Parts: sequence; structure tokens; C-alpha cells
Amino acid sequence: MSLLNLTLAQFLGLLGAGSALLIVLYLLDRSRRRQRVSTLRFWVEANRAPETRRRRRIQQWPSLLLQWLALALLLAALGDLRVGSRGQASRDHILVLDTSAWMGARAADRTLMVEARELARACLRRLPAGDRVMLVRADALTTPATPFTEDRALLEEAIARSQPSATALRLGRALAFADRLRRSGGNAGEIVFIGSGRIAPEELAQPARIPDGLRFLEVRGEMDNCGLRHVVLRRDPQDPSLWRILARVRNYGRRPQFRRLRLAFGGSPAGEAVLSLPPDSEHEAAFSLRTQAAGWLELRLSGRDALADDDAAVLELPALRPIRLLAYTRQPESLRPLLATNPWVRVEFRPPEAYDPVAAADVVLLDQFCPPELPRIHSVWLDPPADRAPAAVRRSVSQARLSRWRTEHPVAAGLRTRDLWLASARVLTPAQDDVPIAEVDAGPVILARAGRPKAVIFGFQPLATAMRYEVALPLLFANMLRWMAPEAFGLQEVLAHSAGSLTLELGEDGGGEVRVVTDGDHSLPFTLERNRLELFTSSPQQVRVLTSAGERVVSFALPELAQARWSPPAGVRRGLPPLRAQSSPRLGLWPWLALAAGACLWLEGRLYGRFRPAAAHGPTRLSWRAISGWLRRTGVARS
Amino acid sequence: MPGHDWVNQKFLERLERLALRWRKSFPGLIGGRNASHFGGPGMEFLDHRHFHYGDDLRAVNWRAYLRFEKLFLKVFRIEPHAPVRLLLDASASMELGAPPKFDYARRLAAALSYVALVRLDALVLVPFREGLESVMRCVGGRHRFAPVIEFLAELRPAGRTSFLEVARQFVDRFADRGLLVVISDFLDEGDALKALQYLADFGHELVLIQLWSEQDRVPPWEGRLNLVDAESGAALELDFDATARRQYTAAFDAYCEALRRVALSNGGRYVGLPTTLDLEEAVFGLLAGAGAVEA
Repeated sequence: MSLLNLTLAQFLGLLGAGSALLIVLYLLDRSRRRQRVSTLRFWVEANRAPETRRRRRIQQWPSLLLQWLALALLLAALGDLRVGSRGQASRDHILVLDTSAWMGARAADRTLMVEARELARACLRRLPAGDRVMLVRADALTTPATPFTEDRALLEEAIARSQPSATALRLGRALAFADRLRRSGGNAGEIVFIGSGRIAPEELAQPARIPDGLRFLEVRGEMDNCGLRHVVLRRDPQDPSLWRILARVRNYGRRPQFRRLRLAFGGSPAGEAVLSLPPDSEHEAAFSLRTQAAGWLELRLSGRDALADDDAAVLELPALRPIRLLAYTRQPESLRPLLATNPWVRVEFRPPEAYDPVAAADVVLLDQFCPPELPRIHSVWLDPPADRAPAAVRRSVSQARLSRWRTEHPVAAGLRTRDLWLASARVLTPAQDDVPIAEVDAGPVILARAGRPKAVIFGFQPLATAMRYEVALPLLFANMLRWMAPEAFGLQEVLAHSAGSLTLELGEDGGGEVRVVTDGDHSLPFTLERNRLELFTSSPQQVRVLTSAGERVVSFALPELAQARWSPPAGVRRGLPPLRAQSSPRLGLWPWLALAAGACLWLEGRLYGRFRPAAAHGPTRLSWRAISGWLRRTGVARS
Repeated sequence: MPGHDWVNQKFLERLERLALRWRKSFPGLIGGRNASHFGGPGMEFLDHRHFHYGDDLRAVNWRAYLRFEKLFLKVFRIEPHAPVRLLLDASASMELGAPPKFDYARRLAAALSYVALVRLDALVLVPFREGLESVMRCVGGRHRFAPVIEFLAELRPAGRTSFLEVARQFVDRFADRGLLVVISDFLDEGDALKALQYLADFGHELVLIQLWSEQDRVPPWEGRLNLVDAESGAALELDFDATARRQYTAAFDAYCEALRRVALSNGGRYVGLPTTLDLEEAVFGLLAGAGAVEA
């Protein structure tokens, strides 16, 4: 006879604490017995004053005994008391089934996962029917698939439903988890690890702690496999329509491989590279692709190998969307060098007579012209007429020196001029939301107006002043356009990465708000430390990392394959466990113990409870006569 | 029928041999069994008296007339149909005990009612608490026993007892004297003895049947007790031990003796019944022995 869920010390400790509590409650509550009597007249004559310092005594020993018995029975039920010797006790085993991405590799005519499932079933059949088994799936995460159970059908079903994931095996975590489970159980059995033993390289540096009772059932399979490890696509900073593509390919096998890496965009071939891959090595291939359109880019390795999932990566490229700038000017030739040299800007020049307030554009430039209807998009005003200017003109100045740039504003960030004299300019009066960008001694001559839409107002025509010779002028226009349409200048980067954990260096971009969302616009948890972003995903999906500088699209489309092989120490048992004699399952008594405890409590309540029926307000002294009389009354026994 | 198991068929057959008996002489109509000291149209000669105008000429003693030349009228002992009333205590104190005193009292009342029905006595069942409750008249023979059982089965013990108020209401409602059977534990806050004496003084013949449970007479508890009166709800805390139990029992017995004295000194009868005593044994033993019923 033994307790499954509690040790003897725990059982005795709980019983002792419960007994003490029970006695204290009795002394507090039942030391004075409450009785209902027909009259008090005879009691008054027999009354004696209570002794002031009389010790509390337990008055209803049978009641206390019944409650203590119920407590003991309940504790025994909780402890899962079982009949049978300790030697016949069932043991708790843990099957750790490798479900890493590598288990999807195909050897001969079946995958490693199929072989692992068969080994798990064979192991299960060798264990005695009374032993409890828990199935744990191990990849980057360690997930219990079943509780400790004797139900072999449930375990078989869980084994059959185990599939290779997209992540690599973290054996150390899986074994530590299994060891904790094993220690917490009553009669510990074996930890059986079934898998190929392919682990991440970092686990070789920190070898997993080998728990007691570990058995390794190796899924053998020497196979050749080459696969994509990492793909990065980034727009060329000088030429936004040009994508720079870098792919990293690894040979996991022990033989050199010659493979072709083909690039296709929108289904059409766009490049090819022949790779010579020495054993257990990586090779990088670079491509470039010029396109402004959106589409699907596919990188595919030729030939067949053990694992097809890492032979191809398909990425979605976003379309190039430059800023549409509509300039109403009578001097397009003077503005063209300033505006058309920016590859992120598409400029269209129109005369002021062709002004259209609803024209399709992102920014409108109004050169010495004030339209009858104000534009509804971002606007740049160059020396507007004084009577209809969007900012009030305070006065006009001539030969004024540009004395100050407000470089803390994004529009004036990084600007600097020296001895820049303006032949003529209008000093503007800033409104409530206006920020002076450039000032002469008499006041501001360039204003930035935040809000919706944004506007920048010049009190002078910059190309008509000495400013046209300054480097500050193109920088000022670039700053204006970036301030008005920051999304067009944003970083665009597309990565194909293996599932699991990813570390992204955000650089200076990590200072602002950072969001990580999936395709379904669900937020994904991440950590950000020293501009280094770390996130984890266990399944193939596409996530977007949004920073103030732009957007990075990470496609976790590639499986995370472990590169190192784990060699178990000498003490680890190998092979299927020996066939144990099928011991008769020990009889679990907890339902009957719980019922007996309930019966004790019910009997105590009937005989001594405060809310017992009125007919039972008879003598509460427990005697065979009282019990038999009560049984006769309740019809349990017949006289 | 509720309460059909209170008395079984064999017990009823035995009850048919019994009759309620009273000792006092009550006026009333003929048709009873017990002889009365009152004269009237009977069979047994009692006395002579002078003839008055309007008397029945058939009762004139013509022999005495021939001798004394005066009209004497023969007076006979009558056997009147005396009224029988059964007062049944339905207060809260009657629900205590194992078995409850009220169950025992109901069964006893049912048995006495059956005896009265069989002998064609005019029995009135009167439950009482602080006053008289609605009454049940049992007349007409044994086939009227079922309504009596139903009436008793619907009674529930509750409330307080006030014998003085009960005696006052009883005298007001039932003017003619008769046999008065009281089934109760006689435990009230007032003076039940005084009330019973008042009823006896009014001319009723008392048959006091006192019921008690074992815990009423010998409380089985010991130690620190918090006692609650079942009727008034009053509480009393005390230490109770063997000595106190003896004092308690002595006080209880003294009260029983006082009850007995009230009954006997007024020509009545007293029977004390513990509820553990078998009902059949109580009726044919103690009640018959005390003369409350006769075979």
C-alpha cells in the first residue's frame, strides 16, 4: 500500500496540521454544547455557576473522531492511496519526441518523423500497462502533448499527430523540462528521447545537463541536404528601383555539392548562379533586380535533396512609390535641377493657370503664385504675393543676412549657411502652429506649418537669391519632402529567415516607436535592447517590423535546421527498453476513500450537526441504541 | 391516509374492548354507561320524592299512595351520556424527544378517540397552545375514525403553552361538566397546577396524562451547556454534571408528584408516560391500571 501523490511525511504533516486545526475549532466552537430543551424551569434549580478558569474540554468525542476520520480519508484520497507493494508500483515515464524541422528530412522512402513515431510506439509497447507515460514534443519549444496517463490509445493518437515543426531542437531545454517533471512525480521512470540528435551549434558550447534515467532512441539517417539559410532584399539607396539581393546557402551534408540557385520574379527568370558548396559550409550569392512594380520573388535551388522545405524561398516585393510633386511655376527650368535630381521624387511642372485643387499628387509647389482655392495636400509656397500669402507679411527687407536656422526642426535639420545675404525678402508673421525655420534679423523668412496638410512658406524665392549656390538649398528641399511624406523615404528591406528566434540590428532606427505585426495585423511580442530587436516565432509566417525609419518585412519561410549533432555521454542508455513483466495494475482506492469520507461527514452532520432535523434533537450521546433507533426511523434497518 | 401506521389493526381490535371511565356524576341525557347520582329515568331505583304536577304518572309509587294516601314518585339512577373532552398539547416543547412527544401524544389521542367512538361517547378533540385551537368532534361510531386521524395528522407542534389561558377559554366554551383528558408534558412558563385546579373546581373530572422523553427527565449531557428553551427561546448557560443531573431529576419528579396530587385530590387520575414506553403497553397497562379506561 502506498501513496502516489504524497510522500508519507507530507501525508503525516498534512494530517497533523489538519488534526490540530480540527481540535482548535472544536475547542473554540463546541466546548459549549448548544441544546434545545422543553423547559428551563428544572435547569434553574440544578444550575451551578460556571467555573471561571475551567479548561476547555472536548464534549463530543465521537463527533471529533468522525471528522478526524473524514479528514484522514480525504487526505488518503488526495494522496491517491493504492493497494499493492511498492515493487509493483507503476512508474512515470516521459517520452521526449523530437519534432524539429530536421525530422521532416526524407531518408530512403520515408521521413525521419515516421521512423521516430514507430520507435515511440515500440517503446510504448515495451512499457508495462500500469506505467504512466507523458509525451513531450521538443523543438525550439518544449510542449507536453499528454498528461501522465495509462491510456495507451491517447498516447498513440498523440504520437500519430506529432509533426515536424519549422524550428530546430533545443535539447537542453527539453531534457531540463523532462527532468523537472520526473522529479515532481512519485515513482520516477525513464526519460526516453527519440530523435535524430541534431541540435543548434550554440548547444554544443553549452552541453545539455544529462538527467538521470535518460534513454536515447536514435533516428538514424545520413543524408545530403543543401538549403537556403537566409535571404535579404534591400533597395539601392541611390537607385530605388534596384533591389540588391543576397542569399546564403548551406550544405549540411558530408559531400561537396554543385547546385544552381535560380531567381525568378513574377514567374519570369531573373537570374541564376552556380554554387559550389563544400561539405558543411555556407556560400553567399548576390543578385540585383530592377523593378518598380510589386510581385513575388522566388529563389530556388535546383536538384533534389533530403529536405525540400529549405530549397526555395518566396518573398513579396512591395512596389516603388515615389513622391508625386506638382509644381505650378513659370520657371520650370530653374526648378528642374533642384527637384528632378531626387530619385524618390517624381515632378510634374504646370503653369499657374492650370491649377487644379484636386489634382492627384502628394505635394504641391506654388512658385510666386497664390491659387484662388487653397490646396488640400501638403504645399510649398515660394514667395507668395503679399496680399494673399498664407502667412501674414510683417514687412519687406532687402539685403538681409540669413542669421539663423532652426536646426532642431526636421525641415532645417543639418542646415548651415554662412554670410548668406538675401537681396529681398518678406518677413513673415508666424501663426499659432507655425515654426520659424530660417530667420533674418528682422524676423522669420521661412515658416513650417504643421497639421493636416503641412505647409512650408518661403518669404523669398530661393532660386532668385544667393541661396541657389548653397548646398543648403537641395538639403532644405529634401528635408521638406521627407517631413511631408516620410513613408516615401522609408527603409524598405525584405528578409527571408528561418523560423525560431531572430535578432535584428535596428541601428539608429530603434530610437522611436517600434511595432512588430503579423500579416493579420496582430502584434507579436519582442524585446528591444540597445537597438537590437529580438523576436520569436515557431511557425512559418510573415511579420513586419515598423520603425520610424521605415519597414522591414521578415518572412519566416525557411525551416530552422540544426547543424550540429549531439553525442550522448557514455552513461546514457540506448535502444528500446527491456520488456518488463506486466504487473497487475494496483488498485486505486481514492473514489472509495472519498465516498467514505463523505459518509463520515454526513453521519456526523446527522448526529451532531447544528442543522440536523428537529426529530433528531434527541440525545447526542453516541450509543448503539441511538444508532439502531435512528436506523430504524430512517428505514435503513427494520426492527 | 396519513397516520394510518400510528395504530395497527390488531391494536384497534384490542381497543374495542375498552371504554372510557369516569367516576364523577354528571347530569345529562341517558344512554351512557356510568351511573350517576342524579335521578332520572333509569332502571336502578334511587329514591322517592313528592309528586309534583306534571311528573310522569308511570313513576308514581301506587303502593305507597295506598298506604299513606300521598303521591310519591320513584326516582331512578340515571346513566347519562357525559361529554368527554381531550385536550392535546401542540406546543413547541412537544416536538422534542426521541421519539418526539407529540408523535406519541397523537397516537395516544387517536387510540382514546377510537375507544370513545366505539362506545359512542361524545368526544371532542381540542388541541391547544397559548389558547384553544380549532376542535374536532368525534361521534358516530368507529367508521368516523378516519377524519380523526386526518385531523391529528395535520397538527404541527409550535408556539408556547399557557395553561391558565387554556383553562379560561375552556370554561368559557364548554359550560357543561364532563370528563377532561389532558395529554401534555405540562411544561409551561406559568403555573399549570393552578390552571388544572381551576378546571377541577369547575366540576370537570381530570385525567392527566403526562408525557416525557428520557432527556426531559434525565438529561444525558454533561459539561458546559448552552440551553435554549424550545418555546420561549430563552437561553441559559451552565455547567452540568452528575450531581446537577440528580438535582434536575429530583425537581422533575417533584413536579410530577404535584401534578398527581392535583389530579387525585380532585377525584381525577394521573398517568405519567415516558415516550419510550410502548403505546399498547401504556394503554392496557398504566392507563387501565389508573382507571382511566376499563375493559
